[in-house]
Amino acid sequence: MKIPVEIIDRSTGEPVRATLFDAITVEHFMETQNEWRPLVLEAARRQAASAQAARADIPVHFHWDWTRKESQLALLAVHFYGIEYLGKLQGIMKAETVGHVCRLPEQRGKPLIYIDYLEVAPWNVKSIMEALAKPTRYGAVGTRLVEAAVRQSIEEGFKGRVGLHSLATSEYFYLEVCEMTPVGRDPGKQNLLWCEFTPEQALIFVGD
Amino acid sequence: MANKKTMTLNLTEPEMQVLEELSRQKELSKTALLRQAIRLYQLVDARLARGEKLLFEDEKKKAKAELMIL
Repeated sequence: MKIPVEIIDRSTGEPVRATLFDAITVEHFMETQNEWRPLVLEAARRQAASAQAARADIPVHFHWDWTRKESQLALLAVHFYGIEYLGKLQGIMKAETVGHVCRLPEQRGKPLIYIDYLEVAPWNVKSIMEALAKPTRYGAVGTRLVEAAVRQSIEEGFKGRVGLHSLATSEYFYLEVCEMTPVGRDPGKQNLLWCEFTPEQALIFVGD
Repeated sequence: MANKKTMTLNLTEPEMQVLEELSRQKELSKTALLRQAIRLYQLVDARLARGEKLLFEDEKKKAKAELMIL
């Protein structure tokens, strides 16, 4: 799968045509480790050292390592998606089709797509680039990836149901931008907030 | 989504009944349910091959049972 998607060039405010794809390889994982991780780590260091920076802005995913997921590339239950623009990976997502079910009372136990990991390139994250005193490059990358999860959910027969555990720094995005429902904190998962799309919310989100 | 291939599946009447019941419960088509089953089987098999165990736990009885997979 390889389809064009629009992301926003922050320098002009204009949409540009990027590519959403699912043929993720270990080279993409290495790209995140070699090109993204140093920037995320540096931003975390600067924010931790700054008295002015809000603790909530410190990127808590600085330790992520996508290369550890190489063995999962062959699993049918695991789907990886990426967004590429100008030859650079702008965002990446790992979604699972088994092992998780809905928790909202009205759809409890129903199958869903679980977004296990979603990361956009650090140059597309406002708080990270502010810490590095540089401009943010592209917007709507995370939104396009969540849309891909919803579309997969529809294709699987899950009617658009999607669930995830949100990092504290991402709660605004999932609740206010995606308008997912906050179901509750999960003590079994570092007390992260479990968020969920109903079919109705999912269809509104993707504009169908 | 990758190109799909079609196959004919022969099931016994009880197997078909279970497939239909699970499809109804999960609100999935029979094809979608079988695809999920294949993914789950592969996932469990891969984790068992890594040396992990698949356990069922009954919290009330404080009992754990290991599920053996072919």
